[in-house]
Amino acid sequence: MADTLKLMVPGKPEYVRTVRLAVSSLANKIGFDIEAIEDIKVAVSEACSNIVCHSDIDSDRLYQVACNICDDRIEILIEDEGVGFDMDMYEEPSPDQIKEGGLGVFIIRALMDEVNVRSEVGSGTRIKMVKYVTAE
Amino acid sequence: MSLSISGDFNEAEDLWLLKLSGEIDISNAHHLKKQLETAYEQTRANIAIDLADLNYIDSTGLGVIIGAYGVMRGAGHRIILRRPKENVKKLLRITSLDKVLCKE
Repeated sequence: MADTLKLMVPGKPEYVRTVRLAVSSLANKIGFDIEAIEDIKVAVSEACSNIVCHSDIDSDRLYQVACNICDDRIEILIEDEGVGFDMDMYEEPSPDQIKEGGLGVFIIRALMDEVNVRSEVGSGTRIKMVKYVTAE
Repeated sequence: MSLSISGDFNEAEDLWLLKLSGEIDISNAHHLKKQLETAYEQTRANIAIDLADLNYIDSTGLGVIIGAYGVMRGAGHRIILRRPKENVKKLLRITSLDKVLCKE
């Protein structure tokens, strides 16, 4: 059975770095290479930044980051109880039309092997991401 | 690691040279925004940003650069990103920003 590490994180910008460093330390323990650890760091940071920027949770409320540490992968589940968003309104950024926002989920999908985003207006957002250790 | 930004205006080349070191994320991207705005208000010219000592950036930092690029483009000016590390280069490639911001 996989070990699970859970962090309850205040919705403040200054804790995003703490989360990504904690998760990258776990990724290192599992045996990911440097490039994969960087990918995981960025993906986790993007998910946390989305919560801080868009979930509208008060800065004294907490969101959860749960990491399942498996032999061949890391599974990361990041959940908030914020305002959520209408997933039908999400538009992937286009290379021809560079925009300031909307890059977070796009980047997470590009860097992780499996990504599942569930959100509902009024009920918060849940992002599950998985990265597998690749054989050398 | 915190973010450090230094800037100089090169009159001969009519070009701002900004140098970033450390990490940019949601906690400090506003410092970069302020620095870009201040530089561009002071002297309207292209801005070259040296990323050789920047260890980490995410979409918050990229968003600030895109926002400044949008303002400057309207006036015919550019932002040029130079010497990104491999991890930063990867993000620029994924987001296709390399095609717009990494050309001299």
